[in-house]
Amino acid sequence: MTVTAPTSEVVFDVRNVTLRFGGVTSLNDVSLQMRRGEILAVIGPNGAGKTSLFNSLTGVYTPQEGSIMLAARRGDSPTSVVGMKTHRVNQLGVARTFQNIRLFPALTALENVKVGVETRQRSGPIAAMLGMPWQRREERESNSRAYELMKRVGLSGRANDIASSLAYGEQRRLEIARALGTNPGVILLDEPAAGTNPVEKRELASLIKSINAEDDVSVLLIEHDMKLVMSVADRIVVLNFGEKIAEGTPEQIQRDPVVIAAYLGTSAEQAESQADAQPELRLIDIEPEGEQS
Amino acid sequence: MTALETRTRPAPPAAPHRRGPRIPSWLTRLLACLGGSLVLALMIGDQEGSQTDYGLTFRKQILAPRVFAFLALGVLLFLCVSYWPRIKPYLTRPGFWPLISGGLAVLASITLMHWFDQAGNGKFGAVSDAVSRTSGISPIATAFYGWLAWTMLVVSVVVGGAAIVIGLRWLAFGVAALAVVAAVITYLAHQAVVDFTGQPDHSLGYLVSILGYIVILSGMLAAGLSHEASARSKHFVTRVLGFRPGLPLVIVGFVVTLLSFVGAAAWFSPSNKNTSLSETHDLFASTSINPFALNYLGWLSWVVFVGTLALAAAATWYRHRLLGWLAALAGAASTIITLVVLYDISKLGARTKFDGATGPWQNLGVGGWMACGGLFLLGSAGFVVATSARATRRVAAGTANGSLSGSPNGSGPNGVSATGSVAAADAAPATQPSPGRRAVGYLTAPGAARSAVLIAIAAALFYPPTATPFWQQVVVSEIGISMLLAAGLNVVVGWAGLLDLGFIAFYAIGSYTTAYFVGSLPVKPPSWLHMTPLLTIPFAIIACLMAGVILGAPTLRLRGDYLAIVTLGFGEIIHLAAVNSQSITNGAEGLTNDTGRHTKSVPNPSIHIGPLHIHWGLNQLQYWYLLLVFLVVVLLAFRRLEHSRLGRAWAAVREDEVAAQATGINTTKVKLAAFAIGASTSGVAGVFFASQIGTFTPDNFVLNNSILIVAYVVFGGMGSLPGALAGAAMLTWLPEFLKSQVPSSDRLMWIGAVVMLMMIFRPAGLIPARRRAAELSGLDGSSSSETRAVPAGEGL
Ligand SMILES: Nc1ncnc2c1ncn2[C@@H]1O[C@H](COP(=O)(O)OP(=O)(O)OP(=O)(O)O)[C@@H](O)[C@H]1O
Ligand SMILES: [Mg+2]
Repeated sequence: MTVTAPTSEVVFDVRNVTLRFGGVTSLNDVSLQMRRGEILAVIGPNGAGKTSLFNSLTGVYTPQEGSIMLAARRGDSPTSVVGMKTHRVNQLGVARTFQNIRLFPALTALENVKVGVETRQRSGPIAAMLGMPWQRREERESNSRAYELMKRVGLSGRANDIASSLAYGEQRRLEIARALGTNPGVILLDEPAAGTNPVEKRELASLIKSINAEDDVSVLLIEHDMKLVMSVADRIVVLNFGEKIAEGTPEQIQRDPVVIAAYLGTSAEQAESQADAQPELRLIDIEPEGEQS
Repeated sequence: MTALETRTRPAPPAAPHRRGPRIPSWLTRLLACLGGSLVLALMIGDQEGSQTDYGLTFRKQILAPRVFAFLALGVLLFLCVSYWPRIKPYLTRPGFWPLISGGLAVLASITLMHWFDQAGNGKFGAVSDAVSRTSGISPIATAFYGWLAWTMLVVSVVVGGAAIVIGLRWLAFGVAALAVVAAVITYLAHQAVVDFTGQPDHSLGYLVSILGYIVILSGMLAAGLSHEASARSKHFVTRVLGFRPGLPLVIVGFVVTLLSFVGAAAWFSPSNKNTSLSETHDLFASTSINPFALNYLGWLSWVVFVGTLALAAAATWYRHRLLGWLAALAGAASTIITLVVLYDISKLGARTKFDGATGPWQNLGVGGWMACGGLFLLGSAGFVVATSARATRRVAAGTANGSLSGSPNGSGPNGVSATGSVAAADAAPATQPSPGRRAVGYLTAPGAARSAVLIAIAAALFYPPTATPFWQQVVVSEIGISMLLAAGLNVVVGWAGLLDLGFIAFYAIGSYTTAYFVGSLPVKPPSWLHMTPLLTIPFAIIACLMAGVILGAPTLRLRGDYLAIVTLGFGEIIHLAAVNSQSITNGAEGLTNDTGRHTKSVPNPSIHIGPLHIHWGLNQLQYWYLLLVFLVVVLLAFRRLEHSRLGRAWAAVREDEVAAQATGINTTKVKLAAFAIGASTSGVAGVFFASQIGTFTPDNFVLNNSILIVAYVVFGGMGSLPGALAGAAMLTWLPEFLKSQVPSSDRLMWIGAVVMLMMIFRPAGLIPARRRAAELSGLDGSSSSETRAVPAGEGL
């Protein structure tokens, strides 16, 4: 097991990105840097632009201004992903999950993962029709890799179940397995804990950590569950109304009056005085879990 | 893209508030049932009428006493629907479904099938007329064709139903006895007519009737036995069949072969004769026939049959792989021997100019082909055993450690597509079978799907020679070609989820490409190029691939309805181009043998490779076997494709394009591949069509045909390869079948009714795809992502 500490290499270099939809500005002059090997969380109130950021990073949306440079895997040279096709970005090593689960519902759980694994294979339709040996080998590889990933996310018993028949939390984990199947350097998780129960949340936290540490995958995480965020994130970026309002370690963010204000919907000074007066009103009154490195 | 990320679902619209007096729902239901029965009354019978008398049909069909029968049917339906919860428990009682299906089989045989070739149109009604007019015939026949047939059917179904509902065991046994009597009487009555006239007969109505009564018998026995006993026997059957995958094949093969040997089935039938196996032996005994064939007709056939049967049965029973292979070999060998004998006798028959035969394979009866089919099935049983033994061992190992039990790649070229379910069913008898699983145990048993496929293959190989020339023509030029087209379109519509309404265009391109390369069009290929139709296949494929890419590349970013419209336009463009390019395609006249216009018909296919010379002439059967080769190649290739990387990518694109892209699938490329592969299949069908029919016009490639192909795929089950084939076969067979069943003007109405009923009661199609079925059942609320949506405020 190789534990990788965050390095100074940059995976995503986002500079002055602005994304507008007609009159709505989803992202306003956002800059951030994601370092290799870190778990970076993006938080912010509803509609803050977190998912828009993800969509800009993966080529689903094309920001009007700014640049996004990507070097997903170790040794890659930075490439601009602005205007790039989604599947190209994925092939460069960026995998993601969706806020409202987007599995292939009628495929089995295993097939969902295989779809991900197989986007990295190369045998073509003719080889498949003729049943060529290399195609069969790839098929076997995809099978065993998919099983491995299913086991990894704790779904090994449900390989042959139709994806839409899985429970909510299982579907979320299946999405992660599918994303991991594409062998990414960076994984973007959009609210992976939404709708899951406390036990599942704890399992998820350790899954995220192990993906980060063992697979050498940098993690960008959107999550509303502060306990989870504080327990896994190395750094946190806070968005509000499309602007980045804060960035720092979990401890810094917990104490940041601007952040508290954004969440409470009041001004910063007011929030600070309130928080001083009533400690229980502070944004996060949960200690980060001890197992954090 | 706008709805890419929505956090909450819109609330369901509030139930509309009804105003005004409410009609009680039972009344509307009753009216609907009665209305339906009146429509049915209108549908059944001739649709007569004229400009001066519009109401003729109405008066004849509805203002007549017969309407009460239909109204009674409507009331019955109403009662069934209204008291459904109370009726439903009875439906699961043992014996109910056999009773119904057996009754339907008898009913169908009486109303639809031929009973005696020499009487009128051969139908039951014609035979009963003839019998009632004839004196001196055996009283059993008079009674049977007069009133007994119907009486026996009605009594056994009604009393049998009563026995099940009331739960009277002795009554059920009584009906079982009645069914035996009915079967015997049916046989005797039919035999009496045949003996009386002394004329040969090829009709099968009585056989189906007897089969129906046997099914009723089994149902009644099940009803009569105690619950425990029937559950035990059901469990036994499941266990036996579940462990012995080839058993159904052995049974079917045994019955078919035996019938062909001992029954009235004719082995050699010039028009004035009809000789069974032993009679054929006597007939040829004094001729110069090859002694081997004579011995076969005499005793060798039995040795071959018994030997193969013993091997197959032993292999199946002990589930022994080596025995399985031996049985498969024996089956293949005995089928070939039988074919050789058939060749010998028909060749000799042709040489002596029996009944104007011009070559071998003519004037053969049903019997020989049945024997071939039966022996083939016995061999298939061996094959199933041989190939599933290993799978079982691996599956057992897989289930033990809880993984790897459902790897689809392990099932080999003839494997079952759903190895996962197979694994589950295989494990079931060993452990403790749950009730639901027990009911379908033998359907999901290992090798069941393979058995079905092998039976289909046997039918495809050995049924067409026994069919009438009319049906042979239908089988080749309609059923076969439409199956090929449906398989191609299934790739596009069923797998990739792209609605293509111009599919016939590729068929046209294939046909015209062939015509060009063999020099049948006004434009000629280079003079040094000499092509036979079959050699143009690669060119047709390339032409269609290119056309597919040209159509696909600019349009595939369109979705759903928009794409459908564009493809519709494409189909029309190709059609109009063919009509208007006088100098290239000879316009609307199409290909004719016209030296002035420099067109001629496309020659029939032929193969000349070394010593091998095959020329396809007028005999439809030859084309059928050629087509079968095409079909088998396409199917094997597509089956692999479906479970390959590309097949899954298609499914992914169809299910969720955004997610597919985010997973790294180049959706444009994947969709283009679907278009191209579907198009080239259609092109191959076009080559076949052109060279079989010789002359064609642009009117062979109109929008109607495109829509029909879509209908085949949807009817059969979108995304299911066997479904698409079955749909194509069904929907091309049905109109031809109805030709002799209903007045010709009613035909389309009946087809429409069948399609509608099908789509109402089986929306996923005839043989639904596993994936598609999951999608449809997902709508019933079992989908967990809908029921457990994230509460809006969760998280902060
Ligand atoms: N495709 C789009 N078209 C128009 N407006 C959009 C689109 N996508 C996002 N927006 C707008 O951009 C803003 C940010 O949305 P986004 O989905 O990024 O928020 P979020 O931070 O992910 O919120 P949540 O926590 O609810 O997921 C919202 O005002 C939203 O309406
Ligand atoms: Mg969001």
